[in-house]
Amino acid sequence: MAVSSEETMPDNVMFMKLALQQAKLALDNLEVPVGCVIVEDQAVIASGRNRPTQTRNATSHAEMEAIDKLLEQWQKIGLTRGEIYLKFSQCTLYVTCEPCIMCAAALSIIGIKEVFYGCANDKFGGCGSILSLHTCSSGKRTSDGGSKRKEFKCTGGILALEAINLLRSFYEQGNPNGIVPLSRKPTSLAKEPFH
Amino acid sequence: MNGIRDETPTDLLRSWKIVHIPDKPPVSPHLQETVSMLAASIEPKCANLVVRHAALPPVKLNQTAPLENLRHVKRIRRTSLDGGKTQLSVILCIASGDGESNNLPKDVLELVCKYAALTKEEWEEQCRLWPTSFHPPAYNIDGITGFSEEDSLLVYNFMKIAVALAKSGIGVVNAAVIVDPSTCQVIASARDQVQSRNVALNFTSEETSTAEQLEAATMDETTEIKNDQSFLVGCSADESKLPYHGVACLNPLGWLEPQLHSSSDSWHPLHHAAIVAIEKSAARDKHLFPLNVDFSSKDHKVSSLVGSPLKRLKTNTNVKDEVNMNEHIDGFHCDATRPYLCTGYDIYFVWEPCIMCAMAVVHQRIKRVFFAFPNPNEGALGSKHRLQGEKSLNHHYAVFRVLLPELILKDDTDAALTVSPLM
Ligand SMILES: [Zn+2]
Ligand SMILES: [Zn+2]
Repeated sequence: MAVSSEETMPDNVMFMKLALQQAKLALDNLEVPVGCVIVEDQAVIASGRNRPTQTRNATSHAEMEAIDKLLEQWQKIGLTRGEIYLKFSQCTLYVTCEPCIMCAAALSIIGIKEVFYGCANDKFGGCGSILSLHTCSSGKRTSDGGSKRKEFKCTGGILALEAINLLRSFYEQGNPNGIVPLSRKPTSLAKEPFH
Repeated sequence: MNGIRDETPTDLLRSWKIVHIPDKPPVSPHLQETVSMLAASIEPKCANLVVRHAALPPVKLNQTAPLENLRHVKRIRRTSLDGGKTQLSVILCIASGDGESNNLPKDVLELVCKYAALTKEEWEEQCRLWPTSFHPPAYNIDGITGFSEEDSLLVYNFMKIAVALAKSGIGVVNAAVIVDPSTCQVIASARDQVQSRNVALNFTSEETSTAEQLEAATMDETTEIKNDQSFLVGCSADESKLPYHGVACLNPLGWLEPQLHSSSDSWHPLHHAAIVAIEKSAARDKHLFPLNVDFSSKDHKVSSLVGSPLKRLKTNTNVKDEVNMNEHIDGFHCDATRPYLCTGYDIYFVWEPCIMCAMAVVHQRIKRVFFAFPNPNEGALGSKHRLQGEKSLNHHYAVFRVLLPELILKDDTDAALTVSPLM
């Protein structure tokens, strides 16, 4: 996985800052601060943030929300499945934390073009940390030689520190019930946030 | 669900079977990886002396030459020689692989198994080479050490609900049924809704009668499970051949294929059965346990405990420990006074879930996963991935396959649910 330099990719930084805004919004709502935006033709077309506490659905991740919004929007204007697939194949996702295994699989099912993330997710990461669902090299190939999923490009380390700091502030101040002890704050993230 | 009461549990038990799918793929005992060790034999005439101080050599050796990552290997081997004498051999260290060992006499080289045995069979095989210790995993999830006949029946009946649901619309799809095993209650259930959301039947409304029927079924006379290996073979020979294109977890890109029954709206490439069932269970949770949380302030004490059954309070005392191990990115926080996601619940799939669904089920804290048919290309619980063996995850469920005749999927009528022996 490529290490990106913020200086040479000002657009990436700009879009990641918008994703971080979504993460802050999650934090304000007592959710684990992870946020994302989806970009098509250099324009943000959808955003999402974590909402598991609000929905009591632990799969309400930022990426899933952004995907849902686009699907609804595109179906409303009458796009066909093929057209929607083509649309997704031109979209780039910016998410503050490496997509989890579930979201990485979802992103390959819809056929996203590319993903940029902030900090690594060394417990659930599906784009290199635990599994590599963005490439076909992970796991066994199917007997006919291919994988049924689509690959996507994935680059980590964009404004990773900001993403980590948000997560930290959640565990130090925003933890609603004090259940996760302070010793559990995400120090592990700080060790190897970049890929 | 008229079929349930009509069936005799005896028929079910004869042809169905529950198999635990462990965290690691099972290794044939004779194919276990080995390591070469240097060992010193002790003369039989010295045996008495050594035996008397049997505790000494391993203790000292473990300090001076510890066997890192080989803690299951016993330091001393005791062999009975002809004439009733005993010979002891002591492992000194791992043999270096640089050819130096070629110059050593053959009798100082010993092979030991590299990994601790997972099963008794593996362990017995290991001990033929060199003795090892075997600690059966301290499982605390019901069923890993076997199911009672009564529990088996419950599992079979919930699996039948999943199968019926999978067949209840246009074409066979995957189905997911979330169950609270402590009350035998269906919490939520769903078919794949990748192609259309309209064909789903809601089984949840019948949960009371279902639970009653299931309880009634367990009262009936039961017989022993027939341990028929040919049944297993028969099951796996057929299952990969039949194309179940509509099953989302088998064919995640199937949402792109042209649709015969084109529904103008309401399709979703990610609405696999598990995702929808989890959504429903979350909605149910919200409905049954409403919370007044003021998100604008940092005061988020639970203001209402109305409708919180005692049993949930009880399970929540266990939940706390689990929450302590939770990962920050998982995105959910437990409030110890209300149900916590699907903690303690089971989920039944007709097909082994894909990696997206398997991870969704981890997120939602399901305790046990049952599936009937494997998913060779996309399955995440043993076929392509083995998510239950990913140690880094914050939550682990136990996985079981319910072996049942594939015939059950072919028939369109309810009668297909009447299980007949395969052979
Ligand atoms: Zn995710
Ligand atoms: Zn799936």
